[in-house]
Amino acid sequence: MNPVKIEVLINFMENPVVMGHKNIILISSMLLLFTFTSAFGDQGIAIRAGHILTISDNPIENGIILIKGGKIEALGQNVVLPEDVRLIDANDKFVIPGLIDAQSRLFVMDSELDESRTIAPELNILDAIDPFIKEYREVLAQGVTAVCVAPGSHGLIGGRSAVLKLNGSKNIDRMVLKADATVKAAVGMSTGNTSSSLARLEHYSSIREALIATKVYMQTKEKADREMAEYNRKKAEYEKKDSGKETEKKEKPKRPARFRSSPASDVLAQVLRKEIPLQVEAHRVTDILNVLRLADEFGFTLILDKCTEGYLIADEIARRKASVIVGPVSTSFVDMPRLEYRNHDMSNASILSKNGIKTALGVSGRDGASSKFITLAAAMAAANGMDKDAALRAITLTPAEMFGVADRIGSLQVGKDADLVILNGHPLDTQTRVEMVLIEGKVVFERKSQQ
Amino acid sequence: MKKIVLLSILILLSIPCCMVKAADAPENLAIRAGRIWTVTDGIITDGVIIIKNGKIQAVRKKPDVPAEIEVLDFSDKDVMPGLIDAHCHIGLSLDIYSEIDETVLAVTPDMQIIDAFNPLADDVKKVLRSGVTTVLLAPGNKNPIGGQTAVVKLFGKKTKDRVLKRAAGVKFSLRDEALMPDRRPTSRAGLLALIREELNNVKAYKEDKPDLRMEVLKSVVDANFPVYISTYTVDEITSAVALVDEYNLNAVLIGAEQGDEIADLIAGRNIPVIYSPLLLFSRDKDLKRVVNMADGGIKVAFSSSAPETSLSDLRTSAITAVKYGLDKEVALKSLTINAAQILGVSKRVGSIQRGKDADLVILNGDPLQPTSTVEMVIINGDIVYQRQKI
Repeated sequence: MNPVKIEVLINFMENPVVMGHKNIILISSMLLLFTFTSAFGDQGIAIRAGHILTISDNPIENGIILIKGGKIEALGQNVVLPEDVRLIDANDKFVIPGLIDAQSRLFVMDSELDESRTIAPELNILDAIDPFIKEYREVLAQGVTAVCVAPGSHGLIGGRSAVLKLNGSKNIDRMVLKADATVKAAVGMSTGNTSSSLARLEHYSSIREALIATKVYMQTKEKADREMAEYNRKKAEYEKKDSGKETEKKEKPKRPARFRSSPASDVLAQVLRKEIPLQVEAHRVTDILNVLRLADEFGFTLILDKCTEGYLIADEIARRKASVIVGPVSTSFVDMPRLEYRNHDMSNASILSKNGIKTALGVSGRDGASSKFITLAAAMAAANGMDKDAALRAITLTPAEMFGVADRIGSLQVGKDADLVILNGHPLDTQTRVEMVLIEGKVVFERKSQQ
Repeated sequence: MKKIVLLSILILLSIPCCMVKAADAPENLAIRAGRIWTVTDGIITDGVIIIKNGKIQAVRKKPDVPAEIEVLDFSDKDVMPGLIDAHCHIGLSLDIYSEIDETVLAVTPDMQIIDAFNPLADDVKKVLRSGVTTVLLAPGNKNPIGGQTAVVKLFGKKTKDRVLKRAAGVKFSLRDEALMPDRRPTSRAGLLALIREELNNVKAYKEDKPDLRMEVLKSVVDANFPVYISTYTVDEITSAVALVDEYNLNAVLIGAEQGDEIADLIAGRNIPVIYSPLLLFSRDKDLKRVVNMADGGIKVAFSSSAPETSLSDLRTSAITAVKYGLDKEVALKSLTINAAQILGVSKRVGSIQRGKDADLVILNGDPLQPTSTVEMVIINGDIVYQRQKI
């Protein structure tokens, strides 16, 4: 599939009015061609690149990435090219894995973030996704190929987050890389720029109560399941005997009371079984410590979100092996002033990662389009002491690991999805431009020459 | 008695000690740098800057420094002039509960923002690490004719070192925020009518009956005293340009977010623009507007509008603009000399030139790379910030 054709297609989709009839016919035939090529012509793509930043392993100089069936088939300096392969020449360029914004609001409508229920883990962000927003193309053009979107910060337990790909599909199911990536919670958030210790305590204790209730729920459910199994066994026995000897009278087993399952508790049960991480937004030291106490008590997999004052208690976080998504790196991404950011420090991510804490970076911007600033966030973390490689990892492999999608995305490794970005310079340099973006081997963005 | 004698001796002894110490304090300082971004005179590699009494005495390539001068060696670092934030509200004890506008009245040109400035406020000390050394302090946007702006440095031992301009101009606001339900004006058209009414009153003003407000407005109309007009939309900017034409105002636009739509109108009158922080925007179209304005011939400076965004992101605004196509040299000038010229303080700050104030920023790389960090900040020859290694 020729990227130029895609570009024309995209132009057509964005400016349908300016196209003439002739063009529409051309486009239609291209659409047909597109369907054919994508359906039958998977002859493979190869990228010859000057610098391949694999993230998981050492960088490869003057290497080749071979893509087949949307996956990375081979990678290295001595890859043998099949004859019919389409070769993209990026000899003097950088190739990196597609970037991930771990704190994105892309595709999520603003109103959907302000849920009023406080403990609502059964809510799913996927029910609030609008695949038709246009901003995603601008974000994609900066090399972002996947985002994690989570319910807002107003509810104590806001619901379940999801990892989405920016593949342009309007079918939400095809955008989803992982549903139920985390359960999102928030503690100690200020309202109207005020916050009381009582309110913060209430956040903590409400979540704790919900988790205790879930434990009881799990025990009750387990008991009910046992009783039901016992009943089923006795019932089968009874019916067997019943059909056999009619003379022997035996008591008919009594069916146990029906167990009323709760969608909310079922989700929290998954958290307690460590099947889904609990992602808790907490800014201030007291709130972070409260969350760590919850983790100690209930033993769930913890991802600390925002973690603004985390650098002040890095040892406490490291001791619990909690991972952290730092964001925003700069307070300029949020409406200021806010109490949560009073002790915001640009070196937070650097200090946390130097303490051995798994640290991802998120933009945590004002809106969906802000996700385009993810490389800027990484560069600013690097400016404030984070190792450049660690900063790049924090917007690729680390979030992929946190959300349980590292088998698919986050680094350039054989077997992973061919989601990658070709740039004309180092990704953290101001003047570097994204030249091309591929998702699962398909060119989804190509820069026009004068851009 | 003995004690008193002893004490007197001690005091006597300590006086010459103090004097010697004061004389020892480095009046002279030299900074050796890998690259000196002079802004007005290109980049000097492996050069030296000699500072005397807080002023730049010499900038030269060959790093021969007289032996008696203390040398700070930054041979592998970059030095640039102190950054200028052309619009912010720091040091005004502006916490989350307070106001910076006098909102009961709509017209308050006699109000001076310098009266609310506390140079020792926490938010001033905290932002020294940003590399910003000079700022324009401004009232908010709630008065059609607001108070007077001031140009100050973030550090200075004496008031004269710190305050560059007590009164730099009058702030006008044509934004919606200037409309209040309980006082005139309540509409956009009414806002402009009110401003015109006030400026027309100047003609009838008699100095034998002194009126502070009229005095200030008279200097705006008759003596080219600058006006800083805050605008956002195309219609607000057009109104501002109309005012400039009608009253022959010496104007600077603050914000002017949609200014690129009518760049010719602004550039044609040589009205400079103090642009809003770029990180307030996220759409490509908006991020490119400042680039379009600069390309359209408008002199642009950047601002943080702190506390709206952080002063640390003043440089980020320029970096983002470069990412969206702004010429690097223009971006650097916008952070320094252009801002100084717009604020009318370019005789003292904005570039590394002989005779200017020694306001310098030392970075560990190109100032327009987001990965570069501010290592040291010098204001009037005093080291006011030094980065701690983690």
